[in-house]
Amino acid sequence: MIERYAKPKKIILTVIMLFLGIANIFPFIFMLSSSFKPLNQIFIYPIKLIPETFITENYKALFDDQYMFIRWYANTIVMVVTIILLKLFIVSITAYAFSKLHFPGREVLFLFLLSSMMIPPDAIIVPKYIIFKWLGITDTMWAVVLPSIFDVFFVFLLRQFFMSIPDSLSEAALIDGANHFMIYRKVVLPLSGPAITTMIMFTFIWAWNDYMNPYIFITSPEKQMISVGMKMFQINNSVDYGLLMAAATLVLVPVMIVFMFAQRYFVEGIATTGIKS
Amino acid sequence: MLSRKQREMYTAFAFIAPYLIGYLLFHFFPIFLSFIISVTDVRYISRIGDASFVGLRNYLELFSDTEFTNSVKNSLLFSIMYVPGVMLVGLVLAVLINKKLYARNLLRGMLFMPYVSNMVAVSVVWSLLMDPTGGVINNVLRSIGIDNPPMWLMSTKTSLVSVVIIAVWQGVGLQFVTFLAAFQNVPTELKEAAYIDGTNGFQNFIHVTLPCIRSQTFLLMITSVITSLKNYTIVQVLTEGGPGTSTTILPLNIVNTAFTSFRMGYACAQTVVMFVIVMAITVLQWSGRKRFED
Repeated sequence: MIERYAKPKKIILTVIMLFLGIANIFPFIFMLSSSFKPLNQIFIYPIKLIPETFITENYKALFDDQYMFIRWYANTIVMVVTIILLKLFIVSITAYAFSKLHFPGREVLFLFLLSSMMIPPDAIIVPKYIIFKWLGITDTMWAVVLPSIFDVFFVFLLRQFFMSIPDSLSEAALIDGANHFMIYRKVVLPLSGPAITTMIMFTFIWAWNDYMNPYIFITSPEKQMISVGMKMFQINNSVDYGLLMAAATLVLVPVMIVFMFAQRYFVEGIATTGIKS
Repeated sequence: MLSRKQREMYTAFAFIAPYLIGYLLFHFFPIFLSFIISVTDVRYISRIGDASFVGLRNYLELFSDTEFTNSVKNSLLFSIMYVPGVMLVGLVLAVLINKKLYARNLLRGMLFMPYVSNMVAVSVVWSLLMDPTGGVINNVLRSIGIDNPPMWLMSTKTSLVSVVIIAVWQGVGLQFVTFLAAFQNVPTELKEAAYIDGTNGFQNFIHVTLPCIRSQTFLLMITSVITSLKNYTIVQVLTEGGPGTSTTILPLNIVNTAFTSFRMGYACAQTVVMFVIVMAITVLQWSGRKRFED
């Protein structure tokens, strides 16, 4: 079938797709370009993507004390790292038990977990708020962290992955006197690099981009996360478009950097599992 | 002395316990609690002791509440536009990128990028692009001779469509990549046999590729429907449900009822209705799938 695709055809198709790709990321290009422009040049048409007057004042202003941008950034980093560390441990050890250990009711319990995947977590925000009030964790980072840790989807994904690791490896370790925690730690985890990385990448993106949970559960501006902070920032500076574009760029940069280096994990993660959204 | 089997069982319980406690507390219990709160008149959490049992009153009120019925209508309209849109665009992009190309990874990355981006940041940019007077989109439309371009997010007539366009742009990465992966599972022998029988590329796609990816397509459709029904963030950050109530979808109405009108009980009744809608659609699609595949 290869000869059906002559070289010129391949070049033309690539060019067409390149146009489509650039059109698709045009909002990002526009944002980046506008963030370096003075306000009066943003609305000029036809647009000049290379700023005529190149300024960095918009970025400098964001680091000014009158905005809490740095604070929100730091809050979000702490929140994301906490989620990743806790989720990594709790989800993987649970997946280990569901894949490598035998106990009565294993399949029934697993089906019970899977069945609740149909109800999206966003739908139960009101009862969750009530529970968090009882627990006294509203207006703390934990209201955003705790519900994200006990993720059903990644228990499912890691279980599938762990099951593909041959049992003979762990049985050999058991005979050598290792306990299950050592096997989990020294045999199964080191062999699961790609699956673990996929989980970390998606967890990072979801946590960083989470808007609804901090919006509902966190009320103090100084404890807020970057997504909601960005929204508050937009409301307070609704006409300073250069500043807004610089802020939006700063919100997107960490995610884009992670995506560029780990595109493979996102694409393959979705491709092999049809990941939830 | 415990037998090996018993030891393994206790180890398993110890391993699962932290997860199970968290899961029950943060996923299962809230679902359960929605049903309970939905038959009470809870307003403020701090005065939850004053709340009383009201039976099905909240559910009966839903029928005559135009804010609620309007939000259900908007949610369904949103899904009816979003699901076919996102499936079709995803399919077309997957077909295109599946051809012989240079720099395929770069192109795939460009098409997938919006999927990982922060919705608030993106909404700020889109609001500017869709600005009725100075925005790039309307400037382009005017320069090609359209004198009265749409008001996009600013008009009650076009706001929901505009949100759907942005939602499709942002969410299509999932459908695109899933279709792309599904294509790799279509046996090449089948395609080659079809070519030998003299079919062209398009016929081949309709009669060979599409039937082979049927089951993935169904799963993807269910996921897309659920995503579209629960989608709170995209509407909240773009329009906050406005102008008027033209983009107030069900999740937005639930949050407003609970945290603006302070009617937790009534909000939970709406949550239960949302469960029912999601379940009903999922079950319907599953039974439809069986009939289709037999």
